[in-house]
Amino acid sequence: MAGAGMTRFGRRDETLPDLIAEAALAALNDAGIERPDALVVAAMNPEEFTGEGNLGSLVGTYLGLSHVPAVRVETATSSGLAAVYAGFASIAAGLHRSVLVVGGEKMTHLPTPRVSEIIGRSIDPHERRYGTTMPALAGLITRAAMHRRGLTLREISQVAVKNHAHGARNPYAHFQEPVTLEAVMESRLVADPLRLYHCCPISDGAAAVVLTAQPGLVRLVGIGQGADTIAVRYRSDLTAFRATQAAAQAAFRMAGFGPERVDVAELHDAFAPFELLSLEDTGLVPPGKAGRATMDGETALGGRLPVNLSGGLNARGHPLAATGIAQLAELWWQLTGRAGKRQVEARVGLAQSIGGIATNNWVVLLEGKR
Amino acid sequence: MIAESLPGSRCPRCRRVVAPPARLCPDHAVPMEPVAVPTAGEVVSFTTLHSPPEGFRAPLHIALVELPGGARLFCHGVEPLDVKIGSHVSIEEVNAVYYFSHMGLADRARMFWRRTGARGEKVAAIGKSFVKGILKGGRSREQD
Repeated sequence: MAGAGMTRFGRRDETLPDLIAEAALAALNDAGIERPDALVVAAMNPEEFTGEGNLGSLVGTYLGLSHVPAVRVETATSSGLAAVYAGFASIAAGLHRSVLVVGGEKMTHLPTPRVSEIIGRSIDPHERRYGTTMPALAGLITRAAMHRRGLTLREISQVAVKNHAHGARNPYAHFQEPVTLEAVMESRLVADPLRLYHCCPISDGAAAVVLTAQPGLVRLVGIGQGADTIAVRYRSDLTAFRATQAAAQAAFRMAGFGPERVDVAELHDAFAPFELLSLEDTGLVPPGKAGRATMDGETALGGRLPVNLSGGLNARGHPLAATGIAQLAELWWQLTGRAGKRQVEARVGLAQSIGGIATNNWVVLLEGKR
Repeated sequence: MIAESLPGSRCPRCRRVVAPPARLCPDHAVPMEPVAVPTAGEVVSFTTLHSPPEGFRAPLHIALVELPGGARLFCHGVEPLDVKIGSHVSIEEVNAVYYFSHMGLADRARMFWRRTGARGEKVAAIGKSFVKGILKGGRSREQD
């Protein structure tokens, strides 16, 4: 990995190509590369959100890279790390020496029910007929997890408190104001038992990384993908994501080490309880311990295993295809000592991204030289 | 009033049952066989959605229900009533949409009785679920 860049996430006036260009140029500049061998673009649904298609070529020409081979990659809300996988694989296969991976989404210009409906298209069509959106399925999963795994609303709410506190230290975050536990627990119900502050915002933004064949300051040492049924009703257990477990196993197998080596993690907290499930699905904390670890501050800045120092999806924001790449950007800054007011001592970082309702998940492991 | 069964399908390889019927098993690329699934089961989880997508009105009550035999169904509820995880509900299909309604002990007994005399395996499964439900129901009340 040779460089990273991102736009501030939030409500942005720029077009999607403008946002992508801002992040891409920042990453190329960071890497000291003007012209990569290839371009991988991630976007979940620009056709519906902004009416733009053929995004690989659109972005290529927009960036002044018209003749650089470009592909567009999509795995729903985890598209960013899918694009990283495509870029990594092409370098590992010896096809390219350097690849620019960039992802972005623009959606704040649309009304919320419309955005929910478009994102909801990543849900099984039969289940969608019941009005299930991502928050609805997350609500079902959360209630089951509270019942079966003993998670409490306080533990779930503390994730949002912690990630907002982290976001307040990140100039790229959508939300940069802390929130209190009371405010989280008293915010309005979205999908019972999930409340507003448990859910990530609708954000615009883009993020980019540059991958190269030459060893850089940070090495991508593991990457894994895990799959699960698109239909939630086909799963026997709602409270653990098999797709995350499989992705983590594959990534750790490639890296040749286990979760105990991880110093810092960026997890997919699109809904606050997902951070707790993901902590256990990745093996970062033992089963049943995520709530306790969160209440004890283990996953906060200054704790044993800081999680979502960027603010996570909950506070940094979640412009869908930008998110996985923004996770790597945060880890890149942490591992190279450039994370500003949220810097920790770290050598190994883990990023985990959930696609759809955990149908297509990714785990990436980065190792720094420090 | 309540239909005796709903259409589902079973994988000839792994015996998994899904509803509504699917062409291929989610885990095996083999055609599934038609099978009837019962119209009562246990709530796996539920939610009330306050910001539904376009085309739906708030509040929207959604439950995931597991039927004896393993098939799980999404359904709508008219009202949340006092549904809990593990509650017994009956399922009705109206215009290709499943609805759940809470079943009291008397309803469950009636359901059980009505099914006696149907195919042996079905009766055994429902009987087991019935007894399990009563035991579970007792426990969860104590916890509350």
